[in-house]
Amino acid sequence: MSQVAESSHAPTSTGIDHKKLIMWLFLASDCMFFGTLISTHLIYRKLYPTGFTDAEGHQHFVQRLFDIELTSFSTFILLMSSFLMALAVSAMHKGQIKSFRRNVLGVIIFGLIFLGCQVYEFTHFYHMGLTIQNSVFGSTFYVLTGTHGTHVAIGVLWLILLYFYSFTGKLGGHVGALDVEVAGLYWHFVDIVWIIIFTVVYLIEYLGPNGFWGTGLPIAK
Amino acid sequence: MSAPLTKEFLAEEVRRYHHFITLALWLAAITGVEIVLIFIPLPLAVIFTLLCLLSAVKFFAVILWFMHLIYDHRLLFWVFIAGLALAFATFTALLALFHVDRIDTKWFS
Repeated sequence: MSQVAESSHAPTSTGIDHKKLIMWLFLASDCMFFGTLISTHLIYRKLYPTGFTDAEGHQHFVQRLFDIELTSFSTFILLMSSFLMALAVSAMHKGQIKSFRRNVLGVIIFGLIFLGCQVYEFTHFYHMGLTIQNSVFGSTFYVLTGTHGTHVAIGVLWLILLYFYSFTGKLGGHVGALDVEVAGLYWHFVDIVWIIIFTVVYLIEYLGPNGFWGTGLPIAK
Repeated sequence: MSAPLTKEFLAEEVRRYHHFITLALWLAAITGVEIVLIFIPLPLAVIFTLLCLLSAVKFFAVILWFMHLIYDHRLLFWVFIAGLALAFATFTALLALFHVDRIDTKWFS
């Protein structure tokens, strides 16, 4: 297969289309960006494990704040959006523009559902008293998940533009398929970042009889 | 489409299509296992290790198949792994630097 795909590339010194190479370089740099954000979150969770204090002075524990059902649903939605994106890219390679539109519309809807869940979660946390300013946990959590959410929002916008662009008849041929593939790479990256965030930010909070960070709080809700 | 739609090309696309469906089912199943795992009364270290392993499996499954790294030019794989390795090295270095006991107090959290 790779011979078929490579034969349709414009000649480059690396044998890889420049758009695709640039996107992979960007994703590699974005790995480092998210790597530092995740590290920061984990370090400060270790150093300040007890949670946060709201405006009335009440102490809150992170384990009681999270809603595992909502986060699991969001994760499932994002994974399935990645699957639909893979199908959309495959459809474009085969020149099936209608199939591409159907799949990419699914990705857009799933992306919007994910963003809706995140907005709901942020609103809920805000009403529980967690703000970006009142604790170290609030700062690192909102910055990390907010940055990821921004990436999702950019991805959704990009796919909406591609969807409407496909009706102009200009999204075709090798260049069109490559444009969709590059957008797909970005979308899958957003998915893999969430795979990590889901484990290291959400799931580990539920581990152990006293919580992963040893706050002495039973996990039973 | 300038890429030749040969019989071989279409057969490969169909094969990939089936791979994508299988992978999506596996990803959903692994996520389900992760959620169940956190409620199983096993030692913390065991569950934590399992969660990390399952995340890594999902991560590499997506980059290899959904992101086509397994089919594409080898250079792309190494470009991404280089970024990933730097991120992991930064992560490890930071964790080592801040490997101190809890400094939290009830009035400073």
